[in-house]
Amino acid sequence: MSPLRRDTYPRLGGAGLHNARRLARLVLCAALLAPVPDTVCAFTITISNGPPKTVYLQVGVGGFIGQYNTGGTPANNATVNQESVSVAAAAVGNGTAQAMTTDSTVGASSYDGFVRCNVPAQLYIGGFYRTPGLGATGSATVTAIVPAVLVDTGGDTLSFAQISWTTGGNGDSGAEPFPAGTFSAGVVQTVGSIAQNQWAESCWTFSYSNTTFPAAGTYAGRVLYTLAAP
Amino acid sequence: MRPVPRLLLLMVLAVAVPADAKTTVIDDSGTLPYDAPLVLHWEQLSPRRPVNNRMTGTLTVRVKLHVAPWLRRRGRIHLVLPAQQPGAMNASWSTQGRLLAGRVSSGSRSLVYSGLITTPFIEDVLQLTLEVDGTQLRQLYHVNFRFEMDEE
Repeated sequence: MSPLRRDTYPRLGGAGLHNARRLARLVLCAALLAPVPDTVCAFTITISNGPPKTVYLQVGVGGFIGQYNTGGTPANNATVNQESVSVAAAAVGNGTAQAMTTDSTVGASSYDGFVRCNVPAQLYIGGFYRTPGLGATGSATVTAIVPAVLVDTGGDTLSFAQISWTTGGNGDSGAEPFPAGTFSAGVVQTVGSIAQNQWAESCWTFSYSNTTFPAAGTYAGRVLYTLAAP
Repeated sequence: MRPVPRLLLLMVLAVAVPADAKTTVIDDSGTLPYDAPLVLHWEQLSPRRPVNNRMTGTLTVRVKLHVAPWLRRRGRIHLVLPAQQPGAMNASWSTQGRLLAGRVSSGSRSLVYSGLITTPFIEDVLQLTLEVDGTQLRQLYHVNFRFEMDEE
């Protein structure tokens, strides 16, 4: 208590009387508050954000059993789909991009069955990322491990950088989670992302740029797509 | 503090607890497990629209309430889920009949027993399900419950 307050509100009675009143007040307050004490007796359940993060990625044919909106569940599918194009001899190297097509038969979204992609022109890519803790760990990232070249049976090569893709599907609006791009030969490149607790899907249309004169042959290479959660 | 405000404070404290209602936390230290780990999982594995980010888990709790202080008296027992981290939660439970099944949201309580206290202990087995907003889970949390006795 400051000297000013002590002068302004002098105590009635001596120090002993004051202390007795103070003690009585404390006892009264304690008695009033005692009926619901702190959680001295309380069982506890320990919870954590322990459940593993859940990710699912489908490029082309996927492993989802059923559809998400009807209680489907994700599963594995070992199918490797192809994108291909045959370039007429007269057109080789003329700089006119050649549309590629997929052998995937999946055009419908695994999310709700809506026909998002038009096969065989478009390749479906979609997935989801589940994680507790909003905004704490960022998005899941889809990367492509791209070989440097495609190779034919004779050992001739063709750069993967000759292959590009556009993006977009039926009914889409706004930015695509898996945007357009061109393969970067021989590197691991990011091709899209999935925000936390969201489903994402796009349709890719691949094309061969056709700006070189490779030896005649069938060139093949495999790109591996990976979804990684932080 | 002036004498007059001090009296007012005491009056406010006094009216907050009606004279005929006495609530006491029950000793439930015999409950097992007392600090139980609970594995939560997504209610909706994939984020369908509208996105459901709730996580849920169920565990068995053997409740043992020491109610000897109220023996041969009437009382009402509530299960309390205090407001606490990680935020809004719901708990629901089934019982084997000694206590009432029910549901409670954080910051509230639910009646689990009403009547004469005839034994020193009230015991039951609860299948307790906890529901939490998964987006709020950033670490490990200790979710506290307690049982309160309202004497009639």
